[in-house]
Amino acid sequence: MKFFRSVGEVFGYSPFRSLAQHARMCSWAVGLLQQQFEALRKGNYEEVEGLREEIDELEHHADQIKEEIRGNVTKSLMLPVDRHDLLEFLKVQDDILNNCEHVGHMVTFRKVKASEDVWEEFSVLLSKLMEIVNNYEEMVERIMHLVETSFSKKEVNKALEYVPIIEQLEHECDLIQIGLHTKLFNLENADPLDVQLMVTWVVHLGYVANAAARASDRFRIMILGR
Amino acid sequence: MDLFLIAAAVAGFYVAWNIGANDAANSMATSYGSRALTLKQIVIIASVLEFTGAVLFGKKVTHTVAKGIVPIELLDHNLVVYGALAALLSAGFWITISTYYNLPISTTHSIVGAMLGFGLAAVSQNHLTIEQIKWGVLAKVVLSWIVSPLLGAALAFVAFSLIRFILLYRYASESVEHVFRYLQVLTACYMAFAHGSNDVANATGPIAAILGYSGTVPFWVLFFGGLGIAIGIATWGYRVIETVGRQITELTFTRGFSAEFATATTVLLASNFGMPVSTTHTLVGSVIGVGLAGGLASVNLKIVQKIIFSWIVTVPVAAAMTISLYTVMVVFI
Repeated sequence: MKFFRSVGEVFGYSPFRSLAQHARMCSWAVGLLQQQFEALRKGNYEEVEGLREEIDELEHHADQIKEEIRGNVTKSLMLPVDRHDLLEFLKVQDDILNNCEHVGHMVTFRKVKASEDVWEEFSVLLSKLMEIVNNYEEMVERIMHLVETSFSKKEVNKALEYVPIIEQLEHECDLIQIGLHTKLFNLENADPLDVQLMVTWVVHLGYVANAAARASDRFRIMILGR
Repeated sequence: MDLFLIAAAVAGFYVAWNIGANDAANSMATSYGSRALTLKQIVIIASVLEFTGAVLFGKKVTHTVAKGIVPIELLDHNLVVYGALAALLSAGFWITISTYYNLPISTTHSIVGAMLGFGLAAVSQNHLTIEQIKWGVLAKVVLSWIVSPLLGAALAFVAFSLIRFILLYRYASESVEHVFRYLQVLTACYMAFAHGSNDVANATGPIAAILGYSGTVPFWVLFFGGLGIAIGIATWGYRVIETVGRQITELTFTRGFSAEFATATTVLLASNFGMPVSTTHTLVGSVIGVGLAGGLASVNLKIVQKIIFSWIVTVPVAAAMTISLYTVMVVFI
């Protein structure tokens, strides 16, 4: 029996918990990539394939969250941040996952043979990426606290402290990429197709770092643009 | 005649029950949404304080509903009985329909529209002239319907902004919220008291008119209305509090406090001026005020449209139903 009238409707859909959840998925995805590269190094191709599936599923799930947010953040909602800023932020954050998915697929294209020190360099690159997305996730998770405190200056500053850290890490990631590219193009007796594919991995891993840096910038714009 | 009195008592009780079951429950749901109180505590507080508010402070609004719009002293008493009974039945019927279809209508608007319908019917049968309807009072009442949500919004905006700039920006939000948990218990009581003092008139106004209202509301009429509201809360309102409270999870103690304080103050002020206002609409205004002060994760402004639509529909529909019922009674009895 639904014999009631309700004022509950005045409370609209809140996208913030889902935004934080979506950010968490970004760092899970990079975590899975890290495992994938470890499996590659060991030549465990079955595991590589399994992890690709896991990343695909994660990306699909994240897409559903993205759709949920986009479908619910309508013009009649009064949010504490600008609606366009929020949607733009979400779009760039989603690029982190999209690029993870691309890399997840690219590593399955070919059974690449590479020396231990090349794999070691990849491992360094992925650790750096992991560091970036971990910081990124921590930053976005602060949004719940920001909403609770109505964006108090102290909390805003605490959250935005992450932005320069992420930018610095992204720069370090660039340097690792440059080193890795140089190394790959100077490999002796390497199969050119292997080199070609590995270079593509490096480029796309760079896109992941880049998307995280751009998303943190959009996050700052969203928080400061109230 | 006795039959009419019994019918009026039943219809009046039904309206009061509905006020308790839905309107009172909605105004208390904010305290459940933030979990400042348990469901049991809310039901007890609401029943006791709605009743107290009704009995101690319900007189002025009852006066307005009983004879503020229709000059019942100029009419034959039998006609007043028919008219007020028709008004109670129509309002009760309209409230039932809209509640069933989940429309955010106001009991207050229904009863005011219904009493106006009674007055217009009396005019059409030449028992009153059109000038004798107290249009001035009606205009004030309608004005109070517009002012009350706006005042609620303004007060809530100020209350939450003060909390925000003085407390939330300086101290840890957890400790601020902790303090407001206790303060929200007080505003919950304040809210129930204010609501009782205003909304009871929707049931007691017509009953007072039927009993030959001359200027003082008999204590036991308010007692009856207050009791009806309390029974409404206890027998059905608790389910509404639970359902609505579950929709209101974004409301923390500071937000709940601000919205309740603003609503209760506005409504009690209205009671003091004898203005029958809608507590639910004032509450919606107050929640929007908290949102405007940056206190809420999301406010759905679509409800504003719905409320305005419900205003436009409720008054004419309640009036039309009363006119038909009244005419039927006058012609056939």
